[in-house]
Amino acid sequence: MSRRAGVNVPSVRMVDALEGVLGLQWIDGKSVRFLLGGGAEGEEEIEESAYEEDDILEDQSEEEDALVEFNISKDEVMQKIGVEIAKMHKADVIHGDLTTSNMMLYHPRSGLSDLVLIDFGLSYISSLVEDKAVDLYVLERAFSSTHPASENLFASVLQAYERTMGKEWQSIGRRLDDVRLRGRKRSMVG
Amino acid sequence: MPGKIRKRSPLKLPDKPYIALGLEGSANKLGAGVIKHSPDGSTVVLSNVRHTYITPPGEGFQPRDTAQHHRQWAMSIIKDAMKQAGISLHDIDCICYTKGPGMGAPLTSVALVARTLSLLYGKPLVGVNHCVGHIEMGRQITGAQNPVVLYVSGGNTQVIAYSQQCYRIFGETLDIAVGNCLDRFARVINLRNDPSPGYNIEQEAKKGTRLLPLPYTTKGMDVSLSGILTSTEAYTLDKRFRMDGVANEGEDVITSQDLCFSLQETVFAMLVEITERAMAHIGSKEVLIVGGVGCNERLQEMMGVMAQERDGQIFATDERFCIDNGIMIAQAGLLSYRMGFQTPITKSTCTQRFRTDEVHVAWRA
Repeated sequence: MSRRAGVNVPSVRMVDALEGVLGLQWIDGKSVRFLLGGGAEGEEEIEESAYEEDDILEDQSEEEDALVEFNISKDEVMQKIGVEIAKMHKADVIHGDLTTSNMMLYHPRSGLSDLVLIDFGLSYISSLVEDKAVDLYVLERAFSSTHPASENLFASVLQAYERTMGKEWQSIGRRLDDVRLRGRKRSMVG
Repeated sequence: MPGKIRKRSPLKLPDKPYIALGLEGSANKLGAGVIKHSPDGSTVVLSNVRHTYITPPGEGFQPRDTAQHHRQWAMSIIKDAMKQAGISLHDIDCICYTKGPGMGAPLTSVALVARTLSLLYGKPLVGVNHCVGHIEMGRQITGAQNPVVLYVSGGNTQVIAYSQQCYRIFGETLDIAVGNCLDRFARVINLRNDPSPGYNIEQEAKKGTRLLPLPYTTKGMDVSLSGILTSTEAYTLDKRFRMDGVANEGEDVITSQDLCFSLQETVFAMLVEITERAMAHIGSKEVLIVGGVGCNERLQEMMGVMAQERDGQIFATDERFCIDNGIMIAQAGLLSYRMGFQTPITKSTCTQRFRTDEVHVAWRA
């Protein structure tokens, strides 16, 4: 469905409805979360008390290395994300679980440089502005919680999204502002 | 496979034993607890005393009456806590109180007690975020390292994950809290508020046999619960509904037990879903349930199944630490006190709106 609309998604290779097996294309790459330094899946942080002297501190340069290896800047990744989501929303597909873990970038060795959206397990079809705005909001929250230092990056995702969406953006953008105000116990001062 | 990243905790081992008194009264429970952090890194709960304001069936607790209750019981609760701990107020290092979030009137009455004690004994005050108190107590008791936290209580429903000195809210309720939803339904079907409406719902739900269709409303990472409450209430007006649960021969009836069962299954399934998505995104294999609704065994069971399927682990505490208590305020307060944080008496206010993500978690790496 998304594929027909030109969205980059893994292609389906085999379906066995009886056994409940779905075969998908292998994406030779890494998740965007990893590339932005949000850690890889299954990685755990261990905190130690200060009195254990000889521990190895995390090397912060790892994320830079990853982006260099992929030969791409953070901003370009953001642009790609915005464009892919916009293409998907134009086809009225709502992902339902947009996070940086659910996006992958091809490794340059595969000869491709596309960004691929994965895990459509919670997706559905809807043309409602509300659903698209909530979809974006989920991603915004995922950004601010996993990549706290990169909040302005989400702005460039939205820019690219806006450009691709065209005039549909007006209503979605307005709704997104509404959605952001939801939630409890926010300070209402000022 | 990626390994484990080691990070050094900014919290130094205490150079001497630290003792803190925690006072909690953000809702209908008034609690006082004393906690001790020893130089060898161990933490001991010296006392944990609580008194709950219980209203008659069909009624909730009003802020004014609850504040009245707290004022009435504050003295004896604190005296009990000190007696059980076997220390005097002169021996403690700081007095921790709940700054928020919670009900205004009860919060201010407890803050007043904290301020008075602080001036009487010349002890520094530490204002604590109630939600952070729950999280820190849960981590301390269960030993969970870096869990995804599901905080479910009468006033709060949040999925929280720690990142860079802040407890970040992944998902939350958009309207009422899950405890509020259950408690209000308990009122509709006239369940007792003793020991707690949620506990009685849980017991009733065990006798329910029929899963009735209710709306399932997750919105992104958030949930909405008010509509489910309305739909459940609407079933009590259905002509098949029997409050007493007695059915004549061959009659199709809906009992209040069925409704409790359906309500629990539906809202807990939603909570498990958003927790699982947070776990998948962060890549954490641990989940910690805190807050009053966290002692619901059905919720723990459902969460356990989910965690098991992900090869993960679930951490939960019992009612002593799940339900609001003073000791959790003491624990979170003492952690920030050891990092050098104090609340000057002129700033010792409380607030009804105080989000979990507004707190700077200085004591974690």
